[in-house]
Amino acid sequence: MMRAFNAAMIVVMLAPIVLVVWISFTPEAFFRVPLDSFSLRWYREALSYPDFVDAFVLSAKLAALAALMATALSFFAAYGLVRYRLAGRGFLLGFFTSPLVVPAVVFGIAMLQFVNRIGLYNDLIGLLIAHVVVVTPYAIRTLHATLQAVPEEMEWAAMVLGATRLRMLGRVTVPLAARGIVTAFLFCFLLSFSEVTMTIFMTGPALQTLPVRIYNYLTDRIDPTVAAVSSLVVLVSLCLVFLANLVGAFKRLPR
Amino acid sequence: MERAGWLFVLPLALVLATGYVWPLFQAGVNSFHLNTPEGIDLGHWTDANYAKLLDPLYQSILERTLRISLIVSAITAVLAYPVAFFIVRLKPKVQPWLILVYVSPWLVNTVVKSFGWSLLLRSNGVINTTLQHLGLIDAPLHLMLNETGVIIALVPGHFMFVLLPLWAAASGLDPNLKWAAGTLGAPPWQIFLRVTLPLTLPSLIAGLVINFTMNMTAFAAPAILGGVRARTVSFLAFQVNLEQLNWPLGGAIAVGLLVFTLAVVWSGQRLAFLAVRSGRTRP
Repeated sequence: MMRAFNAAMIVVMLAPIVLVVWISFTPEAFFRVPLDSFSLRWYREALSYPDFVDAFVLSAKLAALAALMATALSFFAAYGLVRYRLAGRGFLLGFFTSPLVVPAVVFGIAMLQFVNRIGLYNDLIGLLIAHVVVVTPYAIRTLHATLQAVPEEMEWAAMVLGATRLRMLGRVTVPLAARGIVTAFLFCFLLSFSEVTMTIFMTGPALQTLPVRIYNYLTDRIDPTVAAVSSLVVLVSLCLVFLANLVGAFKRLPR
Repeated sequence: MERAGWLFVLPLALVLATGYVWPLFQAGVNSFHLNTPEGIDLGHWTDANYAKLLDPLYQSILERTLRISLIVSAITAVLAYPVAFFIVRLKPKVQPWLILVYVSPWLVNTVVKSFGWSLLLRSNGVINTTLQHLGLIDAPLHLMLNETGVIIALVPGHFMFVLLPLWAAASGLDPNLKWAAGTLGAPPWQIFLRVTLPLTLPSLIAGLVINFTMNMTAFAAPAILGGVRARTVSFLAFQVNLEQLNWPLGGAIAVGLLVFTLAVVWSGQRLAFLAVRSGRTRP
């Protein structure tokens, strides 16, 4: 009985996602399952719709930049927190992870009013800063834990042998923390790529990320083009999870 | 030596100060001014925006949001227990894969998920056509564009926030305790109420707090599956900020939501702490 219950729960968890992907292969102009035949009609449609293509490029660019910035900034910050006895270390770590507690709606409203005030509305810089803030808690947590596991003796050895601190960071610490760095980058990319609530609030018509574009398309009309685009989004997310699994990101799941 | 440490921390601290603290502060400041056709009247301070939040219309939207969030959290708590204990009994190698299945809805974008639910729940959607085909119902059920739709979509969407801590607590549970209670003659329901529940309560509370705040502030699911007839606070915030362009009022909604969220998180932590303590001192 427990097995049946669990199976039913899994169906509920996956049903909407599976259905979207399934229906994206319909040759017809409406939603009906099971499909009589498979077709890539709506994928062609989606790829010839410049709004979706542009939004996809923007989302990928934004996610890459935000992940890169958040990972780099968090690496240095985590290094400072782990290796130096800074006054207020606990407070700083709490501050860096605190965006996690702020609801996306609240931060989206704040960012909307902020970017308009400083003249960054419809500007990639404003969107980028917002995404960096949203993904930073994940990067800082991952990298803080990673750096704590990197033995300080190795760094001492390098410095005793005459390496400057920066050279030592590049040659010793970064390679030793590589798995954590890649994990942080992938998670940040995934989160930024699928972030939608905060972005919907703050972004202007000229800068719509893919999820925002899908949302606006849905409020306007509904045809299987959305299903095709959504399936591509799911595919990107799956690839990132797969990559993260490859580098061993899930080996430290909370237990 | 310490000064070098600050150099490492400073860049991130500066980015968060300008891109996170300042915007929140700015929205807070805006919320204490009046909106005028020429823009925000920064010359005069007022609490009129907060007074407006007490308007019956806004109160009813807040009540609906609270109701939906509580129902979702309650359903999640009831469903997560059997799932967590089912997973714990599996082989350790299989467990992470099953957990990944339950985490996956959270990894998929909420707009895509909500779109999928709308395909299932629409009056001519998969569920209604199947039930009609089987002759179980005559007219389609109203499964979306109301509170039901929002609840159905939010339960799986935020399920993992309760499941993960419960799974962790359940795998740390000493099986001898249940066995001991059983040999002393306790029926299964009593074992659950007197042994399992008290020992997993702190984790349950911790998970429910996140689950509840996520429900309160969800946007895509209420917008797509609730529509105008089941407006929640975040949908209202969207209309006020982006359709009416009333930022002072929108700022007041943001401040209200933030304060509420922090209060829930804080009291949740208090409660979990008390649950841990009472669990320890129980005879």
